[in-house]
Amino acid sequence: MLVINENKIADFLKALEKEYKVYDNRQHPPYGGLTAKKYFFPPVEETFVSEKKGSLKTTKFAEKFVVFGLSIPQLEALTYLDEIMTKPAEDFFYWQRRGNSIVVGLIKEEPDALPGGDIVFVDLGDGNFKILKNTEKGEELIKKYKSYFAEVADAPSKVTDPGMSEWSKTMRDILLDAELLANAVEWSKNHKIWEEMATTCLGCGVCTYVCPICHCFSVEDKIDLTGKCSRCRKWDACTLPDFAKIAGGHDFRPTIKERYYNWFYHKFVRGYKEYGKPQCVGCGHCKKYCPASIDILEILKTILGDYKKSQIQI
Amino acid sequence: MENIYEPKFVKITEIKQQSPTVKSFRLEPTGFFNFDKNDDGSVFYPGQFLLVGNVGWGESAFGIMSAPHEDKSIEIMVRAAGRVTNYLHSLKEGDKITIRGPYGNGFPIDFYRGRDVVMVTGGCGIPPIAALIEYIINHRSEYGKVYLLYGAKSPEEVLIKDKLEEWRQHDINVIVTIDKAVPGWTGHVGFVTDLIKEIHIDKKNVGVAMCGPGPMMNAIEKIIRPLGIADRNIFVNMERKMQCGVGKCQHCTCGDKYVCMDGPVFNFDEIDKAWDQ
Repeated sequence: MLVINENKIADFLKALEKEYKVYDNRQHPPYGGLTAKKYFFPPVEETFVSEKKGSLKTTKFAEKFVVFGLSIPQLEALTYLDEIMTKPAEDFFYWQRRGNSIVVGLIKEEPDALPGGDIVFVDLGDGNFKILKNTEKGEELIKKYKSYFAEVADAPSKVTDPGMSEWSKTMRDILLDAELLANAVEWSKNHKIWEEMATTCLGCGVCTYVCPICHCFSVEDKIDLTGKCSRCRKWDACTLPDFAKIAGGHDFRPTIKERYYNWFYHKFVRGYKEYGKPQCVGCGHCKKYCPASIDILEILKTILGDYKKSQIQI
Repeated sequence: MENIYEPKFVKITEIKQQSPTVKSFRLEPTGFFNFDKNDDGSVFYPGQFLLVGNVGWGESAFGIMSAPHEDKSIEIMVRAAGRVTNYLHSLKEGDKITIRGPYGNGFPIDFYRGRDVVMVTGGCGIPPIAALIEYIINHRSEYGKVYLLYGAKSPEEVLIKDKLEEWRQHDINVIVTIDKAVPGWTGHVGFVTDLIKEIHIDKKNVGVAMCGPGPMMNAIEKIIRPLGIADRNIFVNMERKMQCGVGKCQHCTCGDKYVCMDGPVFNFDEIDKAWDQ
C-alpha cells in the first residue's frame, strides 16, 4: 500500500505551495468555526460587475488551491454540497472554485466507502498514513509528488480511537434512519418543543454559518461612488428575520418558531425528499457555536421519542 | 459551463402608465440573442416569471403578461414598491435592463383544454392571468366558457383597461369589480367574492386559475368551493421572495416545494396542506 510518513506531510504541503495555494484545515481556520465550505462558497463573493452602462462581466476565479485535513463528516458534507450545487443545474460560481481545487482528507479510521475528497490520508497509528485515491485529479497529484510517498507492505491500523465524540456518534446513528427522521420532523410541526425553541433561540443564524452543508444565500447589488455596479452573493440564514419577506412587507415566516422549524424541516425533511439523505453529518458545529447552547441532538431525541409513541396505537 | 446566474440585456421599447403606481414595460432582446422558443412556438408558458433588474440594483420576479406566441417582445407590469421596482419606474424607453428566465412551471394549459376556465385575480395579480387569456384566445375553440373575475380598489387601479375590452370581443366574460362605489362607475362594487352568482359553468368540467395576494384566498372559500369545484382543479400562482430563481438559495421554499422550480403555479390541494400562508 502507498503511505506517507507523518514527518513528510509538512514537506509535502510545502512543495504543493509552489503550484497551489494551500489551506491547512488542521490549523485554526481563518474565520473561527467556519468549515471548508467557505473555500468553495465564500461568505461574500462578487459575481457580476458592470463598469459602464450595458456592459456585464462575470467575475472569474482561477486560483488553484488545495484544502488539506478534512475529517470524515467534513468530507461527507462537501460531497453533499457538490450534489446540491450540481442538481438540478450546475452552480457556476461554486464550481469555478471547486473545479480548481484538490481536497485532501485526513481521517483516523479506514471507511468502507470513501466519504469524499480527491485524496484521503488514513492514520495507521504507526507514524504512517495510508493513501486512498478517490478521483483522477487526486491520482495525478500523487503521481506528480511521488517522492513524498512510499510503498510498504499492508499492515493493520494501530489506531484505537477514531477521534469522534460520543455526541457525533449518537447523532450519526440517528441520521442513519433518514426516513424515520424525516417522518418524525414532519410530524412534529405542532409539537410544543418548537414553542420552547422560539424562546431559547436568538435567531442569530450562527448555526447555519458554521454548518458545513447549509447553503442559503441572498443576492445583493451595490453601486460605488465611481459608478461601478456589482452583484454579490452572500450567505444568508433561514433563521434570520426577513428571510421570507416580500415586497409590500408580507412575511411568510414572521416568528422565530416558524423559522427555526423551517431550518429543521430543510435539514431533515426537504433535504431527505430531494436527495434521499438528511442535510446533516453530525459534526456538532451548530451545538458548539450556538450562543444559546441549543443541542439539536436533544431536540431530535425528544421528537423521535414522541413520534414513536404517537405511532403505537391499539 | 453555462452560468445559470448570467442575465441577458433587453431594451425597453414601450412604457405605459397603467395606474398611478403601476407601469408596464415592453422588452426586446438586444445583441445576439432571441427569446428561446418552446415546442409550440411560444416564448414562455402563461404563469411563468422573469427575474428583471440590473446589476447594481438587483433583480425581482415578475409574471409575464404579453401573449406567449408574440416572439419579438414580452411585457411585464411593475408596481413601485421597493428598490428594484422604483429603479424600473425611473427608466425611459430605450434604456437597457437585464432579465433571466423564463422560470417556473406556468398554468396547466393542457389541463384546462376542453374545460370551462374561471380566473380570479385582483390588483397587480393580472399579468400571468393576462398571458393565460391571450393563450386561450389564440386557441379559442379548444376551451369552453372563460370567466375573468377581476377586483381592484378603485377605477384608476383597474389595469390594462384596453385589453379588458379587447378580450370581451373574443368571448371572454370579463367581470370587473371595485371595492367602493364612486360616481361614474357603472360596474360591480364589492369584493370579487360577491361575484359568484355571475358565473354559469359546467361544474364537473372546469379549471380555475388564480393569482393575487393573500385575501384572494378567501375567494376560494367563498366562490370556488361553493361552486363545487375540487381543490385539485384550482391552480394558484404564488408569490414568494426570490433570489436565485433556480432552486438553490432557499428563499422561496414552502414545505417541500420550491416556488421557483416546482411552481409558481400549484394546485390548491398542495398549498392547503403544508404551507406557510
